Amino acid sequence: MKNTFLTLTMTAALTAMAASAEEVRVYNWSDYIDEDLLSKFEEETGIKLIYDVFDSNEVLETKMLAGGSGYDVVVPSGTFLQRQITAGAFQKLDLAQLSNHGNMWDVIEARTEQYDPENAYSINYMWGTTGLGVNTGKVAEALGDDAPIGSLELVFNPANMEKLANCGVHFLDAPAEMIPAALAYLGEDPNSHDKEVIAKAEAVLTAIRPYVLKFHSSEYINALANGDICVAFGWSGDILQARDRAWEAENGVEIAYNAPSEGALMWFDQMAIPADAPNPKAAHIFLNYIMDADNAAAASNYVYYANGNKASQPMLVEDVIGDPAIYPDEKTLENLYTTTPYDTKIQRVVTRLWTKIKSGT
Amino acid sequence: MALDASAPWEDPEAKPVIHFQNVTKRFGDFTAIDDLTIDIYEKEFFALLGPSGCGKTTLMRMLAGFETPTEGTILLQGENIAPVPPNKRAVNMMFQSYALFPHLSIWENIAFGLKRDGMSKHDINERVDEMLRLTRLEQFARRKPHQISGGQRQRVALARSLAKHPKLLLLDEPLGALDKKLRQETQFELMDIQEKTDTTFVIVTHDQEEAMTVASRVAVMDHGKIIQVATPDAIYETPNSTYVADFIGDVNLIEGKAAGQDGDKLKITWAEGQPDIIGTPTTEFSNGQTVHFAIRPEKVSITAEKPEKANCLQGKILDIAYLGNISTYHVELAGGKVIKAQTANNRRLSRRSFTWEDDVWLSFTDTAGVLLER
Amino acid sequence: MRRFFLIAVPYMWLLALFMVPFIIVFKISLSDTALAIPPYTPTLDFAAGWQGFKSFLSELDWENYVFLTEDDLYWKAYISSFKIALTSTILTLLVGYPIAYGMARAPHEWRATLLMLVILPFWTSFLIRVYSWMGILSQEGYLNQFLMSFGLISEPLIILNTNIAVYIGIVYTYLPFMILPIYSALEKMDESLLEAAEDLGCSRFTAFWLVTIPLSKQGIIAGSFLVFIPALGEFVIPSLLGGSKTLMIGKVLWEEFFSNRDWPVASAVAVILLLILVIPIILFQRNEQKQREAEG
Repeated sequence: MKNTFLTLTMTAALTAMAASAEEVRVYNWSDYIDEDLLSKFEEETGIKLIYDVFDSNEVLETKMLAGGSGYDVVVPSGTFLQRQITAGAFQKLDLAQLSNHGNMWDVIEARTEQYDPENAYSINYMWGTTGLGVNTGKVAEALGDDAPIGSLELVFNPANMEKLANCGVHFLDAPAEMIPAALAYLGEDPNSHDKEVIAKAEAVLTAIRPYVLKFHSSEYINALANGDICVAFGWSGDILQARDRAWEAENGVEIAYNAPSEGALMWFDQMAIPADAPNPKAAHIFLNYIMDADNAAAASNYVYYANGNKASQPMLVEDVIGDPAIYPDEKTLENLYTTTPYDTKIQRVVTRLWTKIKSGT
Repeated sequence: MALDASAPWEDPEAKPVIHFQNVTKRFGDFTAIDDLTIDIYEKEFFALLGPSGCGKTTLMRMLAGFETPTEGTILLQGENIAPVPPNKRAVNMMFQSYALFPHLSIWENIAFGLKRDGMSKHDINERVDEMLRLTRLEQFARRKPHQISGGQRQRVALARSLAKHPKLLLLDEPLGALDKKLRQETQFELMDIQEKTDTTFVIVTHDQEEAMTVASRVAVMDHGKIIQVATPDAIYETPNSTYVADFIGDVNLIEGKAAGQDGDKLKITWAEGQPDIIGTPTTEFSNGQTVHFAIRPEKVSITAEKPEKANCLQGKILDIAYLGNISTYHVELAGGKVIKAQTANNRRLSRRSFTWEDDVWLSFTDTAGVLLER
Repeated sequence: MRRFFLIAVPYMWLLALFMVPFIIVFKISLSDTALAIPPYTPTLDFAAGWQGFKSFLSELDWENYVFLTEDDLYWKAYISSFKIALTSTILTLLVGYPIAYGMARAPHEWRATLLMLVILPFWTSFLIRVYSWMGILSQEGYLNQFLMSFGLISEPLIILNTNIAVYIGIVYTYLPFMILPIYSALEKMDESLLEAAEDLGCSRFTAFWLVTIPLSKQGIIAGSFLVFIPALGEFVIPSLLGGSKTLMIGKVLWEEFFSNRDWPVASAVAVILLLILVIPIILFQRNEQKQREAEG
């Protein structure tokens, strides 16, 4: 008995030591990975993985800028990444530790370079578009069979929104994505940093504001799947997840995703290592693990987002690689735009405009 | 006794202020008031006396309106008051806890009931000042209840309940919270105020001395029934039962059997080897019937020699209780019965005539005791 | 010496848990935003010694406070928060008082159980409780299902994401803070006071108004502050249950901090909020003290 106790305490002590030595802390978006990949990582590498989630770039950025977050890997979107690199929040990647780096897709790397020159600080995890998720049955009921579900007309034309209001419309609570969309609807440059141009978005958004049930960046997945709402302006993969949940629930709800024909925002979620990461070596091992073609494919097959990993494409299921909503064809790809981060002054204008639109104040 | 205004209960023409007619009050299985009938007259100072749980408080709360009778009727000046809520009755109550409003000043406490009646400001001022004068509280008008003494609080409670000129004032153990000396002073003050205000007072108390002091009539209660209603002296001198005799004051109780009438006297045999007791009955006793002979200790004389009296008993002093003004001797008779005798200490202690173990004679006249059936 | 410690302990507490954080926030509110870690300038550099401290001080200014007066968003948010907090406090009082009253009048042997029931919700996480309200109030939620199944309404009520949901959330969450002090005030009350009031000519209602209410005043005041103060700065309830139109200072603060990354302005908003709160807190304290003195 005494011996058993001794062995137990010793084992516990050893485990504790091992844990403190080999531990990697990852901070990723919510609902953004196949959890099997996490346990597989621990099995393959013997490194304990601590996985936390967030649901807004702002929360992540605040942690990064406050410093000392304790995370080894974080996943900001392109524009936020760029700003945080400027603030000195990240360390350069050591390519020597990333044997799978050759798997990355040059088409995507060419686009992420505008946020992270030479892709020195980050690798692409997923990318996607921001567009329209609709409950096809309910929208047809409200607007008829020829409802413009592939156009910004659906959500920015007050006449349409008035009819949709009864079945519920959610917008992302993300001004950096919604204001460019309003500008695209007006035919302006969505990536404009000009105060006067940005101000033009106000009229568009204010006109349809009364018909928007909620501005929120994650609730729409469930709301769409349950049939609580009929339209969500959200992220491609999230809407496709809602589509799947509705299928599984067999509740008669049919969801479709479309990147608007007037142009859709293309965004990139980049994995990067904070400058003060406690365990950068393990962080590199985690990035290398994600860059493995099979793992990247498994992640995309699960979350319905396209990834930046060329080598993973043969392993993707047809549902993903064959869906133009996820991997757009050449023509759609041309129609996508990217944005660059606002400076502090313009950011304040944008936030203030957004508050005014949302609250009327 | 003469029929005069001070004893309206002896006048068959007098109309009572309060009339209880066969009133019963039950709380679940418990009968608090049991088929009770009683009259209370104007300007009376009426005391309800009894041990706790005898129903006296329930009786009072029915008058105030906080309880309604289960059966029977209560008439206030000839009117059934059962449907009248407490706030509409011309009856006020002084609570045992005083129930002064702690957030109001003394002045506001007294004015509380007047304000509810919608009196004019001027009249309220006048009446409150009058009550403050009556209870000698003028200089405390602005204070809060917690800033004055217990005796002053008691007077505030009295002033407040009298302010509305009630036809009937109920006092629930009004002096219970005061120490003995203050209580005695206050008793006289209460009587004084009752006379000045000409209000009918009904007081509930468990303190027989208090009841005897203040009341014009005392009702002794037990288990929801009234055992006896009478003036204090009648209650004391001619109790109608051993319960009343025992409850009021000190008494010697001797149980015996009727052993023959002789004129208006009755012989009672009560113990072997002891002479029969001769008493004056007020009711008929048949031969052999059980008789309770009750005699107050102060009516029993104690002497060294056998005196010439109707009843003489020999015994030995067992104990002496010295109370200052009086002494009570506990005398054991042959056969073990202990009789108490009281004498006034009009001499100094050192010259006292008896001490422990002395053989003495106890004696009393044939009219000193009362003969009771139960 | 012992006396010194007795006084020192609460002051140390105040210093560590209130003054130090406040000074840090106040210092940030006087600085300028910057793209750096931390995202404001100047920062105190201890290595630079006294000279460094002087140059640090010279860079602080009141600019952010001036900015708060230039945009009507802020004072509108303060006023709106004040209104929401005040309305919720009144609603909580209206709901809480009868509950406290019922508890204080309940038979003695039940009271401990009733108290327990009031405190019981605290055993569940606050967030879970607010989330469950989302499940109750949503368009497809339990409340609407219930009302529709009984045919009381034909169209689902829109409650979630409106101010009504915020009020429900605040009243629900803070109800125990209202009930407990009122209960303790009412429980102490001598019931014969009410009988005395009735005896002196009050109806039940006026007796309640003239005696019960004044005697539970301390409890009402304490409960109201315990609800009002946290409700004023509330963020979680409006952001989960409220709509985008619900304007509260807590949300504005969040946006300054997270969306604008403007820590200095966010700190200035927080300092003003604190000053707004300190006034009722001081009033509350003085009221308490007055009460203690009155009770001697």
